[in-house]
Amino acid sequence: MAHDEHSNSHTNTLPAELGAPAFVGNWQKRAIVVGVVFTLLAVLLAVLENMSPNGLAVDHLLRGWLLGLMMSFGFAVGGLALLMVQYLSGGKWGLLLRRPLEAMSRTLPLVFAFWVVLAIFGKKLYLWANISDTAAALKSGIITEAQAHAIDFKHPMLNWNTFIITGIVCFLIWGFYTWRLNALGLKRDSESADTTPKWIKKMENISGPGVIIYAITLTAAAIYWVMSLDPTWYSSVYGLLFLVGQGYMVLAFSIIVSIGLSKGEPFKTVLRVTEQHDLAKFLFAFVMLNIYLAFAQFLIIWSGNLPEEIPWYLDRIRGGWGVIITLDFFFHWLIPFSLLLSRDIKRNKKRLVAVCSWMIFARAFDLFWLIEPNFKDAARNLHFSWGILEYAAVPAAMLAFWFAYFVTNLKTRPLVQTNDPHVAEILEPVHAH
Amino acid sequence: MPVREGTYGLLAEFDTPTELVVAAKKAYADGWRRLDCYTPYPVEEAAEAINFHRNKVPLLTLIGGLMGLAAMFLLETWVSTLAYPLNIGGRPTYSWPAFIVPAYEWTILFAGLSAAFGMLALNGLPELYHPLFNAPNFRDGATTDKFFLCLEALDPKFELAETKKYLQALKPASVVEVEY
Repeated sequence: MAHDEHSNSHTNTLPAELGAPAFVGNWQKRAIVVGVVFTLLAVLLAVLENMSPNGLAVDHLLRGWLLGLMMSFGFAVGGLALLMVQYLSGGKWGLLLRRPLEAMSRTLPLVFAFWVVLAIFGKKLYLWANISDTAAALKSGIITEAQAHAIDFKHPMLNWNTFIITGIVCFLIWGFYTWRLNALGLKRDSESADTTPKWIKKMENISGPGVIIYAITLTAAAIYWVMSLDPTWYSSVYGLLFLVGQGYMVLAFSIIVSIGLSKGEPFKTVLRVTEQHDLAKFLFAFVMLNIYLAFAQFLIIWSGNLPEEIPWYLDRIRGGWGVIITLDFFFHWLIPFSLLLSRDIKRNKKRLVAVCSWMIFARAFDLFWLIEPNFKDAARNLHFSWGILEYAAVPAAMLAFWFAYFVTNLKTRPLVQTNDPHVAEILEPVHAH
Repeated sequence: MPVREGTYGLLAEFDTPTELVVAAKKAYADGWRRLDCYTPYPVEEAAEAINFHRNKVPLLTLIGGLMGLAAMFLLETWVSTLAYPLNIGGRPTYSWPAFIVPAYEWTILFAGLSAAFGMLALNGLPELYHPLFNAPNFRDGATTDKFFLCLEALDPKFELAETKKYLQALKPASVVEVEY
């Protein structure tokens, strides 16, 4: 195949200019336009919802906001986590992804702002936060006996103060790791190449505990922000599902960014087809792991068939939701799985970007299926309302602004870390093993 | 099978993979089709150079996997609904979620076995005799540190003297004639 312009025997040289190419400015402008359009759309939908009988305009805005928060949070903190995993595993792919991942992690302030909005206005979404007197609520039929029991029993954990405090503590921890890894990442480059072994160890030592702490804090966040929407239900694999989901979307997004950047230097030189292929194989592993956990949870709960657990699935299968879960299975497993089996698609820039974009959409679709049936009006009752479209409009607007902020962060640093043992390797022509 | 006689092909030896790939690309571009590269370790670019990229192993793997999936799923369905319809926890006899795990395992098993045995079959293995082993430098070098390009006599362009000259122009370490 004649696609490989570097296939003769000479070695490439790293371009002198390692900053982000100028065209990322256009990405940013486009993202802001998209963000404004979807913001207007979200407002329009809220107005339409408000005019319809039994409209839940504010509720739906908040639900969409929660989905947007989980997506942007997934990119920011998931990016941080993948960065730490990279420091632990080592390898060539770090040279490609480290700077985009760092830029993703530095979007944490915006995600925090998104979360603050939820912390101020979101109380409405959480059943346990709105019921102060469970006995009275039970008597008047607002909640079931199971809900009353769960809200009472889980009160030490599920109350608005711990919700806020846990959130702030988690953000402080993520902020600490973001700051530390980003500052050291830049410092590493300012030192000479003979310091590389020292830096590798140093980064490993920070990232090792970091990954564990990330897993714990992420589980806390997933439980508080999403799982507790249904106070009666619990699943011990829930945090892990979000963890893998973050790896899934972060890797897909990183591949899109790398391929997008490869239209200009320096990524034109460093993103060789071999590395692209490797990243796509890595992505494939996440597609498998994701369905593995999702299905394992389903199989265990289905087998147990316990009255404490099974209603969560019934809420998400009956009343039209069966269509959504079937589509969800196709969207976030079957389609990416089948496409990523192909070697040609993994090595083709355009097609791989299409698959990755699809996967990000599929992750959002999966979150929709996780979030919406928690609410009384939607459980076992999938129905159209203008408000339900907020699940598309609000996250699209949030992610567009998030992306613009991401590009701002991307522009502040050289795109390739030069104090790295793999620089020489990545500049070699592909077949000179 | 009748005994084949005469020349199997001309074997050019190279010291580096890069030289081999350059030579193979040129030979392919000049219209050679009955040719092959031999390397001590996988060199993907050599396969690309002679346009040997497509093979049927992925298809065999897919078919094997689907057969495994269908076989196990149907077996479980037959066992649970027809052969031994037992009431387990009040569930319907056709409880597909429980069938998924073994069906998945069989998919992997059949796909893996199909890939391994399909690869061997498509390579023509096991093969007890191959003329290339008549060349001493091939015997010594093909599994250690030498890279070979063989232009086979079956190619209509093959002309012993002319082809030898052609190969020598590619600057190999040596060119030897291989007998059947």
